[in-house]
Amino acid sequence: MPAGHGLRCRTRDLFARPFRKKGYIPLSTYLRTYKIGDYVDIKVNGAVHKGMPHKFYHGRTGRVWNVTKRAIGVEVNKQVGNRIIRKRIHVRVEHVQPSRCAEEFKLRKLKNDQLKAEAKAKGEVISTKRQPEGPKPGFMVEGATLETVTPIPYDVVNDLKGGY
Amino acid sequence: MAFVKAQKTKAYFKRFQVPFKRRREGKTDYRARIRLINQDKNKYNTPKYRFVVRISNTDITAQIISANIAGDMVLASAYSHELPHYGLEVGLTNYAAAYCTGLLLGRRVLKMLEIDDEYQGNVEATGEDYSVEPTDTRRPFRALLDVGLIRTTTGNNVFGALKGALDAGLDIPHSDKRFAGFSKDSKQLDAEVHRKYIYGGHVAAYMRTLMEDEPEKYQAHFSEYIKRGIEPDNMEALYKKVHAAIRADPAAKKSEKEPPKQHKRFNLKKLTYEERKAKLIERLHTLNAAAGVDSEEED
Repeated sequence: MPAGHGLRCRTRDLFARPFRKKGYIPLSTYLRTYKIGDYVDIKVNGAVHKGMPHKFYHGRTGRVWNVTKRAIGVEVNKQVGNRIIRKRIHVRVEHVQPSRCAEEFKLRKLKNDQLKAEAKAKGEVISTKRQPEGPKPGFMVEGATLETVTPIPYDVVNDLKGGY
Repeated sequence: MAFVKAQKTKAYFKRFQVPFKRRREGKTDYRARIRLINQDKNKYNTPKYRFVVRISNTDITAQIISANIAGDMVLASAYSHELPHYGLEVGLTNYAAAYCTGLLLGRRVLKMLEIDDEYQGNVEATGEDYSVEPTDTRRPFRALLDVGLIRTTTGNNVFGALKGALDAGLDIPHSDKRFAGFSKDSKQLDAEVHRKYIYGGHVAAYMRTLMEDEPEKYQAHFSEYIKRGIEPDNMEALYKKVHAAIRADPAAKKSEKEPPKQHKRFNLKKLTYEERKAKLIERLHTLNAAAGVDSEEED
């Protein structure tokens, strides 16, 4: 029989529930809210059959562009041939997790706003740009003893003593 | 019996998947819970309220709860052990008491949200199916009935509480199929029978039959009623008074509780992380000092 190319082909392990996590899914997945512009990870939950994305999108991260009653529209990049297309898919909330990729950026934004507000209050100018790690500063080497190594002239008698 | 083959091997336990904690305790039906809690995503953070009724052997609990990831939040609650404040002291788990508890919770919530003047609900309990009409200014308070794990048979006391909340003015989607007095044959709710149950008519009828046939059993079974002078004829008037009292002042009353007594400790109190670290540093210091003294002695 030839290999099939159905919608869920080759997903026997990909869509399987992990060991000892079968059955009802924890309710926090249903209680999360998503706003347009949030970043979400797509991770298929094999226990819920409706609103499953295609296996290509499993493990992708995208932005939310639409929110409906039970599902979320996610915009994911897909390479097709020689270009990358922004694909818009709809996925049920059980197959979606909030992504932490933008978390560090959001925290930094808040901190920078705070620093800028403080600097404005004090009247000084600060730069909140991140700087790359530069070369290490110079330092004096401590506690080093000098050992001079010089070559010694070849001594035939001593060297052949062992194995001749 | 020594040589019985072990049924539950180590391999069995290694592969065993434990159900959710509340399922193990037999307290939550997750299939129903998922369907009750699921809010439309395009309603974002709008809470979805459940009207939770749970009946124990001696008490009825009615609560309005909204779900959160951190834990469910209770908006308001009413217990049938509060009914003595309103004049009802016996029969706290029957259909009539459930109606009073549902009524109390409904009026309490409406008062908390300050729409109790707009939505009076059904002031005179007739037993007919009553649904709240929305007024022009504000929409009625909507909740979904959560019965828990009980078997939903016709005439269950949980539906008494539901009727109480409906008559209070809450908007709870329902059908009259499970109210006491619904007959399966005619597929209609007999409002007269339902009204009888709301005012304890079924209890009064049983009291009358016992008084005639088995007076000793009547004395034993309804001793608390007799002590308070509650006769089968004045049950309806009693419940009418309780309903009026509830509508007059549904606010929760805080009870004064003395601070709990300090008991003598028989075991050592557990140290905190900081205390344990401090103790370790002290011990190391003394060790070092002792070792220092020893090495000095050796030298």
